[in-house]
Amino acid sequence: MKNRLKVLRAERDWSQADLADKLNVSRQTINAIETGKYDPSLPLAFKIAELFAKKIEEIFIPEKE
Amino acid sequence: MNKILPLLSSKWMGIISVSTWILAYFIARGILENDQLSDGLRLVVALVPIIPFALFLMSVLAGIRELDELQRRVHLEALAIAFPLTMLLLMSLGLVELVIPLSPDDWSYRHVWQFLPLFYFLGLAFTWRRYQ
Repeated sequence: MKNRLKVLRAERDWSQADLADKLNVSRQTINAIETGKYDPSLPLAFKIAELFAKKIEEIFIPEKE
Repeated sequence: MNKILPLLSSKWMGIISVSTWILAYFIARGILENDQLSDGLRLVVALVPIIPFALFLMSVLAGIRELDELQRRVHLEALAIAFPLTMLLLMSLGLVELVIPLSPDDWSYRHVWQFLPLFYFLGLAFTWRRYQ
């Protein structure tokens, strides 16, 4: 799954560590999500969407098979 | 765990308890190799390391609760690697032992259990690389 996390984070001038603190996860988890190596759980995806005041589908884009 | 020692994080509790457990294990081994004690006392000494190990287990559980979802997955995958590898090692040693007598001084359970944490840390390193 692709996502716009890195772009949204950069727009707010937040580091990965800043975002990790706000979401109460590790910086490694933010990095893994941004690089597409890990898809977050639904609760974490909702938390991310709420933090950026966007809908989940505006941040996470499913890849077409 | 934090209710017991609120000033210590589960990480520090883990380090202290595992250090105490290792120390207690080697002290107990040292004492048990001296057979001048009564069997009852030797049995008590043999069971003493269970106490720090129980504290270690509690700190591990507390630590797992503090992890985020990816960290939990990484540790689960590391265990999923370490556990079958240890089982494979034990099974292979059991089969090899049917062919070649293995020296209990080198290949007893006292030595083989150390492969479980080794495989676990190898599993952790391997799994973390996947998500970096």
